[in-house]
Amino acid sequence: MREKAVLEAGDLPGWLAGIRGKTPVMAPVKRGRVSFTFAWIDSPADVRLDYVRTILPPKQALLPPREDLLRLHPDLTAAPAVSAEPFVLFGVHPCDLTAINQLDWSMLQRHNVTDPYYDARRRAAAIVALDCLPDRYCFCSSIGSGRTRQGADVFLTPLEGGYFVEALTGKGEALLKRAKLRSPSADEAAAAKAFPEEKERRTLLRLDAPVADLPDLLEEHYESPVWESTALRCYSCGTCTNCCPTCFCFDVKELPDLTLGSATRWRLYDSCQYNDFAIVAGGHNFRRERQDRARHRWFRKFVYLNREHGQPFCVGCGRCSQQCTAGISLVDVLNSVIAEAKERVA
Amino acid sequence: MTATMERSFPKRGGEQLYAPLPAKIIGAKQLTDLERLLEIQLSDGKDLGHRPGQFVQVSVFGFGEAPISVSSSPAKKGSFELCVRNMGGLTGALHRMGEGDTVGIRGPFGNGFPMTCMAKMDVLIVAGGIGMAPVRSVIQSILADRDRYARLIVLYGSRTPGDVLFTDEVEHWQADPRNEILLSVDRGDDTWKGHVGVVTTLFPKIKVDPKAVIAALCGPPVMYRFVLAELHALRVPDQQILLSLERRMKCGMGKCGHCQIDDKCVCIDGPVFTAAEAKSMHESI
Repeated sequence: MREKAVLEAGDLPGWLAGIRGKTPVMAPVKRGRVSFTFAWIDSPADVRLDYVRTILPPKQALLPPREDLLRLHPDLTAAPAVSAEPFVLFGVHPCDLTAINQLDWSMLQRHNVTDPYYDARRRAAAIVALDCLPDRYCFCSSIGSGRTRQGADVFLTPLEGGYFVEALTGKGEALLKRAKLRSPSADEAAAAKAFPEEKERRTLLRLDAPVADLPDLLEEHYESPVWESTALRCYSCGTCTNCCPTCFCFDVKELPDLTLGSATRWRLYDSCQYNDFAIVAGGHNFRRERQDRARHRWFRKFVYLNREHGQPFCVGCGRCSQQCTAGISLVDVLNSVIAEAKERVA
Repeated sequence: MTATMERSFPKRGGEQLYAPLPAKIIGAKQLTDLERLLEIQLSDGKDLGHRPGQFVQVSVFGFGEAPISVSSSPAKKGSFELCVRNMGGLTGALHRMGEGDTVGIRGPFGNGFPMTCMAKMDVLIVAGGIGMAPVRSVIQSILADRDRYARLIVLYGSRTPGDVLFTDEVEHWQADPRNEILLSVDRGDDTWKGHVGVVTTLFPKIKVDPKAVIAALCGPPVMYRFVLAELHALRVPDQQILLSLERRMKCGMGKCGHCQIDDKCVCIDGPVFTAAEAKSMHESI
């Protein structure tokens, strides 16, 4: 049921308007002078598919920064706030799509526990993916996330003046019923086929070791001076985890309304980089030192979850490196440890 | 022996995964200035169905949720007990609550102590402060089925005589000549006739056969380092030492990331780990 066609750039707003007429659409839009972000769109004219990366990842559609869990009553009966209307997540790059696949595992399968809130949103989502070209922060080719199609319902490859369009699922075919498509020329088909190669060729930032080697390599360098030197620059501000497409740690808060007739319990993104993340009652902090928290971030992404799931919990999107308030590059830190390992062998 | 062989998963799934079950406080007793014992009955009339060493998430309306160890034995039917130290918001609210008040319960969570591994063995329990709360469920379970286990040795350290928990019950345990129950306080007072010193200073008073003993520890992180040194001096193997580790569990189901120690989730893989497992984890103690 793979349907291949071309959508002219001029017909994109019409297609989006058709979809938007039926379901809400989250898509990349311009934010400020130079930034982009995913937002629920009102007008198809706002959608910008020429973005390289958004401030926050499309994860927010499935795992919102703040999400109500329960409405509680004084007798402790609770009404779960699980619900989701069908929506379209439009313009997701392959790295972020990989991240959604990772979240599907961590939120739905890990430890045999299915998170009902994520589950409802994920089932309600139709995903239109969009291939892209890298900037100097991207390193998807080192992670192997740049060619992901799994999880998408429609896949768009940019062409001169339009998009090469493939429906990957029945949901995707249904979405494309509203699009004005034409058959591709032989040149267009060839350009679409060559696109992933071109993307990889242009991805200059690289990890200096295969990701599969990282669990053992990093563990051997648990006491590396790199963690301390990284921590000396880090502010523990949590920007890196808050903008990460794979981070899923959360805190849970509760507040009663003013009449004390009910209370709302919600979850919100939390960060292992915050000083209080591992504090217990009585004040003992199990990751008191900044370098312990910094190391934990790299280890969780490239050692623990990499080993448990067989893939790192990093997709090479470059957000954390670009947005870090202290200018710390995730790749530089990894490559420093890798260099240390190579020196030791030499 | 590994502590992770027994696991439990949340009983309520689907949409109710994060929803507490309403429960009534049917008894409340102030044990010390800081600690209060609450007896709790679930609204569905069922037993909690926990194992010693497991914890529950306790909801207090308007305050949220906190992980608290179950302090009573599964042998107690119809209700269970939580020993709560007043540390602020939610636990402070629990201290103001009493008989007839409602709380919410999720769980039980975690692996708990492997009681089957303790059968026919000498059981050495070392507890410090509020660490007595979770191991009390182990002690009560042993006493409820006393012939199943060999010796029961309890070393219990408190800061001052006023901080000793379950004083009546401890006297009751001491009354049985088969049990060796030794108490210590860091600082004594005029009324205190017993031993003074940190809990490790009780070790010279006991004899342990390292091949026949299972040790279960619960207390502050600093206690583990010193007690482990004592146990190693007695040549007790790491596989026979169990530690209950404390972390800030938010979800109890391995999602929220707060209780991660290296690659382990304390809420799923713990809170009970063997010393061998704990040693292989950088961040354990």
